[in-house]
Amino acid sequence: MSELTDRETVKARQASLVGNAQTVRRFDVPVVVDQAKCITGCRICIDSCPVDCLTVNPETGKANMAFDECWYCLACEIDCPKDAITVKIPFLLR
Amino acid sequence: MTESIIEADIVVVGGGSAGSTAAIRAQQALPRGRVVLLEKAHIKRSGAIAIGMDGLNNAIIPGHATAEQYVKEITMANDGIVNQRAIMEYAVNSYSMIEELDRWGVKFQKNESGDFDVKKVHHKGSYVLPMPEGYDLKKILTRVLKRSGVRIINRVMATRLLRDGERVAGVLGFDTRDGEFTVIRAKAVILCCGASGRLGLPASGYLYGTYENPSNAGDGYSLAYHAGAELTGIECFQINPLIKDFNGPACAYVTGPLGGHTVNARGHRFIESDYWSGHMMMEFYRELHSENGPVYLKLDHLAPETLTEIERVLHRTERPSRGRFHQGRGKSYGQDMVEMHISEIGLCSGHSGSGVWVNERGETTVPGLYTAGDMACVPHNYLLGALTYGKLCAAHALDYIANVEISADLSGQIAAERERVFAPLSRPNGIPHHQFEYKVRRLVNDYLQPPKSANRLQNGLDHFLRANDELSEVGASSPHELMRVMESHFIRDCAEMAARSSLYRTESRWGLYHYRQDFPKLDDDNWFAHVNLKKDESGAMTLFKRPIAPYIVPLDKAELRGYHGLRIARESALSA
Repeated sequence: MSELTDRETVKARQASLVGNAQTVRRFDVPVVVDQAKCITGCRICIDSCPVDCLTVNPETGKANMAFDECWYCLACEIDCPKDAITVKIPFLLR
Repeated sequence: MTESIIEADIVVVGGGSAGSTAAIRAQQALPRGRVVLLEKAHIKRSGAIAIGMDGLNNAIIPGHATAEQYVKEITMANDGIVNQRAIMEYAVNSYSMIEELDRWGVKFQKNESGDFDVKKVHHKGSYVLPMPEGYDLKKILTRVLKRSGVRIINRVMATRLLRDGERVAGVLGFDTRDGEFTVIRAKAVILCCGASGRLGLPASGYLYGTYENPSNAGDGYSLAYHAGAELTGIECFQINPLIKDFNGPACAYVTGPLGGHTVNARGHRFIESDYWSGHMMMEFYRELHSENGPVYLKLDHLAPETLTEIERVLHRTERPSRGRFHQGRGKSYGQDMVEMHISEIGLCSGHSGSGVWVNERGETTVPGLYTAGDMACVPHNYLLGALTYGKLCAAHALDYIANVEISADLSGQIAAERERVFAPLSRPNGIPHHQFEYKVRRLVNDYLQPPKSANRLQNGLDHFLRANDELSEVGASSPHELMRVMESHFIRDCAEMAARSSLYRTESRWGLYHYRQDFPKLDDDNWFAHVNLKKDESGAMTLFKRPIAPYIVPLDKAELRGYHGLRIARESALSA
């Protein structure tokens, strides 16, 4: 019994000092961009987003939602000159 | 990281409603480019009304209401804890703001004779002026702003204000795209940063599914606090009745005048007035948690053409995605009632009374520092209050800068802030900002969401103080993440202010907004006063009472309780 207690005391101290370990996971995101309609080099939706969650994908040159931080406000969808964007309600709220 | 150094006469922080009129008004009296407008997002879609607004909630239109009636109504709605002079200044200046908006091209609803078509939503008077085409509002403000000659800087986030002795001397921040450190030296600063809308966690668990635009993370509350300004009424939370899960307004202000009602699950009305006040929210809360709950917005009794008119407004303005939300759940206004809930808590003087202390000139307690809009405490000030006070702040700031020089050397403050702001970038594998933020906001729900009690508030405060230490473990790997980390600082600051202010006021007031289970009664003998807080010389958060200035529009005791007892005396069934 005392052996177990000691072990927990040692590990409790260690847990407060040890560095961070990390992992990644995927998210379903609300902003869906039609790659065929999206104009390469156009940044209108990226300027519109009040939370700056859209970026240009460097591989495709097209807009995409890079951060799961959407207010489903529709600014990007309304301002897109090619109707390339559809905003879905975030899954947690849908 | 490079550094950008800018000099200006007046810098406005935040380009939403208040910031737009502040910058436009200030620039009218100064050489081009001497007014800088700093915006964390992009001015074309920023602030609380990024997608426009469906109406003015507090329009005082000659023939429909007087300034005195309005001051009385808001004094009642905020349980007497108001600086009437600040409300009166809004009341007498707001009609000319409506006329100016009209000239700029904002379309207000007018009747057959061409007069403004005012609706009654408040408990006593008529102040709601619909803007069925209000989706253009932000575009119109942006157009006027661009023509004005204001120097607009988008995607730069302010993190601290510069001080020169007692007075404010500029703004420090960084570019959230490329990380450039930004120093703006100025004679006066007008903060228009919006509400603290990312304080409580929405029941959905989605961090950005807030009632307010999630860009409004309490930046201004924290900036003003650390600059030494007083804040007031922080315990008078913002809590709103919203569409469940969607968390946007069900819009009784739009639907009420067209025949919509807030009802319980039996389809019966239970509140006298749909106007958002703490006492209305108390009845809403009681009904929601009673055997008659939940609560709904009832429109299914309305004629098809009325429903079409409602959808025409609600699906184009403010939060238009509600249409796809309802559709996704297979619901329609004609067939189903809209289920509602209570929002997470926030701080916002646009809706309630929690903000930075200001007088009728928009001055804070720090010389040269002005504030307008949701973050400035002029209770229930809404959109038109933001637009009106933006202008007022600019006019008074112009007077102030006539006798002020730009401060020469403040390199110590600048270097210290640069080090503080960029520290999270040195630990890219630190705690991610979203985990830190989720935890603080979940604890806000656990301990600050009314009903309040000292035990819970104290435990919450302990957690928020611990969170301050945890911030030194939070890391960022890009300027975008750094923006979120700095917002987390603001959110934590606001949580601490909310806990301390709620503990300090040992009575109940404003219905649900400050319902203390351990002090359930309103206690005018001890608490007919503002509760203010500030950062004292030792850096500690200190709280104190500020007396209510003598009323300029007197109310007797019965009138002061005008917003109490909003429950309908006997439940009345709607005629089907």
